[in-house]
Amino acid sequence: MNAAQTSAPLPSTYTPAPGRRFNVGDAVVVKRAFPPGHRRTPCYIRGKAGVIERVCGVFPNPEELAYGFDGEPKKVLYRVRFTQKEVWPEYRGPDRDIIEMEIFEHWLERAGV
Amino acid sequence: MSEYKYDYYADKKLKERAGRTHDHGDHDHDHDDHAPINEHDDGPPSEFEIMSRAMQELLEEKGVITAEQVRRRMEVFEEDFPYRGSKLVARAWTDPAFRQRLLDDGKAACAEMGIDLEVDRLIAVENTPDVHNVIVCTLCSCYPRALLGMPPTWYKSRNYRSRVVFEPRAVLKEFGTVLPESVTVRVHDSNADMRYVVIPMRPEGTEGWSDEQLADMLTRDTLVGVTIPRVNAAS
Amino acid sequence: MSGTHPNQGPQDIGGAEAGPVDTLDHGMKFWERQANGLRSTLQRNKIMRTDELRRAAEDLGSRYSELAYFEITTSALRTVLIEKGLITEHELKAKMEQIRARFNVPDEMESPLKKGASR
Repeated sequence: MNAAQTSAPLPSTYTPAPGRRFNVGDAVVVKRAFPPGHRRTPCYIRGKAGVIERVCGVFPNPEELAYGFDGEPKKVLYRVRFTQKEVWPEYRGPDRDIIEMEIFEHWLERAGV
Repeated sequence: MSEYKYDYYADKKLKERAGRTHDHGDHDHDHDDHAPINEHDDGPPSEFEIMSRAMQELLEEKGVITAEQVRRRMEVFEEDFPYRGSKLVARAWTDPAFRQRLLDDGKAACAEMGIDLEVDRLIAVENTPDVHNVIVCTLCSCYPRALLGMPPTWYKSRNYRSRVVFEPRAVLKEFGTVLPESVTVRVHDSNADMRYVVIPMRPEGTEGWSDEQLADMLTRDTLVGVTIPRVNAAS
Repeated sequence: MSGTHPNQGPQDIGGAEAGPVDTLDHGMKFWERQANGLRSTLQRNKIMRTDELRRAAEDLGSRYSELAYFEITTSALRTVLIEKGLITEHELKAKMEQIRARFNVPDEMESPLKKGASR
């Protein structure tokens, strides 16, 4: 499958992510897990449900880079969109407000499975 | 909260605002008697300052780096980087085709303007009458340095990093930016490999302005999304 | 809200209660600019990765929240340089002694980055 899911062209720096699990618009849940070590998935977003906003391509795994290794195998990085109400049930702004961030594939699960 | 010392200058400033006098003793910690007390390098050097210089000199002696390399990096951070983002966005305001290319592929658009981003990817997000974007890095201080220079004190502060994700409207208000409920606030936590820049809405009253004039009104804060560019009486 | 999860690092503060934002930029002191130039040079020379520095910063634990930004990055850099064998604890101590002595020279006006000052 072609990596392009959005109508926009892919950035020149895009590294294809063949065999990736998710596409734009897929509903996902961030894993609710608290392993030790260097993680780029903030605690506040773990366990929250969102939608894939874009596929960023593959990147060296920061959880390995952090300890001096080469970051291989690379991991697919996505941008995920969440509603603020999902992330903070007590959120005081309008329901439409959103928050987005980058999440690596191994931190994501398909929603409703 | 009072024992929190992450952002010393912010703390100090807030104390001054609250009408309290300087009280260096307030900040003493047994591990660091030379916590950064002044903003002008005119006190005794702190342990960290000495350590940083010592590391540089050792690495020079070992041939890992040269003093020239460090000096050059200091220069580009101060003389080049801070002025790039406003030029980039000013051009996006005046050249719709370029704006589209910037939205599609930020790094390539920067390269067109001779800007080496030094990071893999730039995502430009545009403010519209319906959407307002604001950028943060809750985990450290990821920031498009090659476009905006070093992040300002507040961007690195605990207060901004922790709060803008869950009460963005309140934080924006502290910057003087009040958004109607009809506008969607879109917060970006810049937590991995992407870097972000906001393309603000071009204000009315700037018709016919040159890219240079426009760049002047595009302050760093407008490109992070905490403020909105305004036509100044002075312009 | 923060610090409530197992293994939640001191850097992971999104969602924590905190005070108002001081919206003024206070700029950087000379030594902070030097520290930033040093870090940046090492990354450009591919001596270390950003994630290594971040991890070393996170390992500061409770000290992380007591230190200012460039104090954190300087501590983290020291950790990474030692762990990579680029400098030793002993060398660093000795060099810091030398520099301390240099600072005591009454006429010290020059930046040690200017080579003349480091003699």
